[in-house]
Amino acid sequence: MTSDGATSRDLPRFDRRFFGGAETLTAIGSGALGGKATGLLAAHQALAGRTDALRFSELEIVVPTMTVIATDIFDLFLSRNRLRDLVYAGGDDRRLALELQRAELPTELLGDLWDLVRQVHSPLAVRSSSLLEDALAHPFAGVYATKMIPNNQHDPETRFRKLTEAVKFVFASTFFREARGYVRAAGHGIEEEKMAVIVQEVVGRRHGPRYYPDVAGVARSFNYYPAGPARPAEGVVDLALGLGKTIVEGGRTWTYSPAHPRSGPPFNSVEHMLEQTQTEFWAVNMGPPPAYDPVAETEYLVRGDLADAEAEGTLRHIASTYDSGSDRVAPGLRSAGPRVLNFAPLLQFGEWPLNEAVRGLLRLFEERLGSAVEIEFALTFPDERDRPARLGFLQVRPMATSGETVEVGEERLRDPRAVVASTRVMGNGVTEHIRDVVFVKPESFDIRHSRTIAGEVERLNAALTAQARPYLLMGFGRWGSADPWLGIPVTWAQISGARAIVESSLPAGAADMSQGAHFFHNLLSFRVAYFSVTEGEGATIDWPWLRSLPVRSETPFVRHAEAPDPLRVEVDGRCGRGVVLRGNGGPP
Amino acid sequence: MSSKPFNSFEIAQTQFDHVAAQLDLDEGTRDLLRWPMREYSFGIPVRMDDGHIKVFRGFRVQHNDARGPSKGGIRFHPHETIDTVRALAMWMTWKCAVVDIPLGGAKGGVICDPHNLSAREQEQICRGWVRQIARNVGPVADVPAPDVMTNAQHMLWMLDEFEVLHSGRYPGFITGKPVGMGGSLGRTEATGYGVVFTLREALRELGIPPESTRASVQGFGNVSQYAIRLYQQIGGKVICVSSWDQADQTSYSFKKASGVDADALESITDRFGGIDKEKARKLGYEVLPGDAWLDQPVEVLMPCALENQITPDNVLRVHPAVKIIAEGANGPTTTEADRAIRERGIFMIPDFLANAGGVTCSYFEQVQSNMNYFWEKDEVLGKLDVKMTSAFHAVSDLARKRSLYMRDAAYVIAINRVAQACKDRGWV
Repeated sequence: MTSDGATSRDLPRFDRRFFGGAETLTAIGSGALGGKATGLLAAHQALAGRTDALRFSELEIVVPTMTVIATDIFDLFLSRNRLRDLVYAGGDDRRLALELQRAELPTELLGDLWDLVRQVHSPLAVRSSSLLEDALAHPFAGVYATKMIPNNQHDPETRFRKLTEAVKFVFASTFFREARGYVRAAGHGIEEEKMAVIVQEVVGRRHGPRYYPDVAGVARSFNYYPAGPARPAEGVVDLALGLGKTIVEGGRTWTYSPAHPRSGPPFNSVEHMLEQTQTEFWAVNMGPPPAYDPVAETEYLVRGDLADAEAEGTLRHIASTYDSGSDRVAPGLRSAGPRVLNFAPLLQFGEWPLNEAVRGLLRLFEERLGSAVEIEFALTFPDERDRPARLGFLQVRPMATSGETVEVGEERLRDPRAVVASTRVMGNGVTEHIRDVVFVKPESFDIRHSRTIAGEVERLNAALTAQARPYLLMGFGRWGSADPWLGIPVTWAQISGARAIVESSLPAGAADMSQGAHFFHNLLSFRVAYFSVTEGEGATIDWPWLRSLPVRSETPFVRHAEAPDPLRVEVDGRCGRGVVLRGNGGPP
Repeated sequence: MSSKPFNSFEIAQTQFDHVAAQLDLDEGTRDLLRWPMREYSFGIPVRMDDGHIKVFRGFRVQHNDARGPSKGGIRFHPHETIDTVRALAMWMTWKCAVVDIPLGGAKGGVICDPHNLSAREQEQICRGWVRQIARNVGPVADVPAPDVMTNAQHMLWMLDEFEVLHSGRYPGFITGKPVGMGGSLGRTEATGYGVVFTLREALRELGIPPESTRASVQGFGNVSQYAIRLYQQIGGKVICVSSWDQADQTSYSFKKASGVDADALESITDRFGGIDKEKARKLGYEVLPGDAWLDQPVEVLMPCALENQITPDNVLRVHPAVKIIAEGANGPTTTEADRAIRERGIFMIPDFLANAGGVTCSYFEQVQSNMNYFWEKDEVLGKLDVKMTSAFHAVSDLARKRSLYMRDAAYVIAINRVAQACKDRGWV
């Protein structure tokens, strides 16, 4: 495996047979394949050469069938429609997307897409694979759009229309506000970016009006938040029912260490587990067409709840049932009661060798990439027990980790210069150039205003980023939360200039610490230190000192202050301890 | 040289006989297919602008409609003959069959020279033509289209007359209409793009990357302009193109080793399709004699202008580098020259396959018109690509399997399909 970006020459040409062709990975066009497709090609090759230890009779592991529209088609699309001035100028995402919907796809692509939809009647994922993603340090997690289409309409004309709309939407997402901010933060100009598009089968099965996998998963070979018996190097896995959107956007999932699959997340009580279990899932909408909206990523996505899933028979291998009589959770669905998605039949009884496969895959790709990795996958169970389950391998990314050894001992946390100290810090290394502090004012904070706060932070981020001033960002609740009641629902682009982030626990004490996989991945790849501070647990924030700093600007909920001397951020990734020290805070 | 006048219908029948023998067709099928099923010949009286009445001779020949309504153009030409129209109708049958569209073959014409007719007089001819044949044509019987010296305006006059006679709106009666008046998006590009879709597949089959190829193109009309554009988009380089010069009454070739720019040349082209020599020189083109396009050291030749351009007299001038000839024009290669090309092992994409993009898109126009629901351009071009690619593969697969020359393989497929349809209907 190489970090160099692959080109269409590395794949056989799409021979207009999507399923049943000689090759399952093919390309259209003659340019680069982009980072995601390069990773999938490498994964495909690695899987082909894997040892018997990673081959299971009960579990088939494959990269789902896909064809990649290379970046030359993107270039032709922009130039033939004379779109470059428009897209480089930026502007409102929706208007930009609509403009691009009106443009024509290059003739060279049309016959291939038409033949594809003529044959295929099952859902397709139209995924971004950008050129700049090739840089290993910046895997661009979740920055660009992916559009799922049901592709089940009776007439091929409609299927063709929906596919072309999705391709244009992914092209347009190259220039969305969030993507522009991300590219800028990664030190590139938007003109350098090019987009390949992956058209890929969606791993899953149809259940009435929904199409989804039985299990979606994200696994990382390094765990920055080990709990219980888990150790960082053992990695961590998040599982969810339905499409992986639940995981990558930070929804409720089941988190466990692959070395200890029987130990779940550290819930305080069964009641807590019931509160935190996944109750909704994402699926591709196979039912009546929704409102026409070609520039919405979720146009064809639909949610289901656990009752739907149970009726559709997809809880059988993944759910347990709460028995109020014994106040216990029993694997399976034998009795009536609230269902808990703890994947017990899979993880406790090993009904399918999912955990073994995930551990093997993490090892395989760690060796190949020479670094910690994050993988995404989806699993479907067969109708008949004598057939193998199918694990679709969807993505592999290196996890950018600093190799620098930083020692932050217990005593360092009590340093009188400590502005922030915590034993739950993600990241590793030392940062010394931050003077600006953007913090949510404790006195005016109210979680009801979290969306407003996100907007205020975004404006400050834009100003500071324009001046190339890195800053320390502090607030309450989970940054990047999808749920505005659990934290500040910012996207990565809205805080892209922050080089250290502090999350102070909410007064209500919500315990869920995980962001979505994409947000999390961006923290890692930009080497942003992420402090989680639950005051009273040996963690502190020196609010009086922060309030004493000269104010540069202020909004109703957020203040931008400037420290007289640079702050020093130290994070010891091995033990998760970190501090932010005020001026002249060098090692004692 | 033979003193016998050139008769295209005899050539068409000879070609048919050759393939019928290969297919071992029975006598009845041969008799049916070597002649048109129906022929109409009629007079069209027109009151001329000076007040006198002139009767023009009109034709419609429906060669075969076993596979679907007949399809074919209407030619306005002073030297039109019934035999030319018969031959062209037969070729339409084969062309529709080789690309597997559900249409038969027809052709029509009027003996006239539109250069000497006012617009009103032309309109009267169009309306008169329809009045004479209105009961025997129509969306489910026979669908005319523009051809030599007829255009979208003529089609609209004919459509209007047909609709008056039939008291309704029948946009599927005729094709070649302007976009917005029942025409199809993509029709302008269709023939030229179709040539390149088949060329692209031929290059793939021969294992030649397009970017390693150069081409020389005869003609700079609509077909060649779009063929040049798409061929260059897929990576090839056109180094020479010829065009007719109306003032000099001869043609010239324009050469640029670094590749011609179709847009730039189009901007210096007159309304007859002639490229301005002086302006071309200023743009860095070498201006050569009209037939120099044939001598170029290229891998691909695209004759996209007229019939009978590659002849026994000049076929030896085809450069040894040439690997593929894609016939964008109808009948650009004479039978004798074709034999020489075959012996040299040059891969031939025969005219009625290579330039079938036009009729395929006309079929799309008819389908859209009948539905009164019109597709986006990308959909039209996507379907066109798939249709042309499938047709090419069917022909090349047969050519490979039975060691046939591509032209023969295309005829075998087409004639076999039509013969089978006649059998299935119980006609023979």
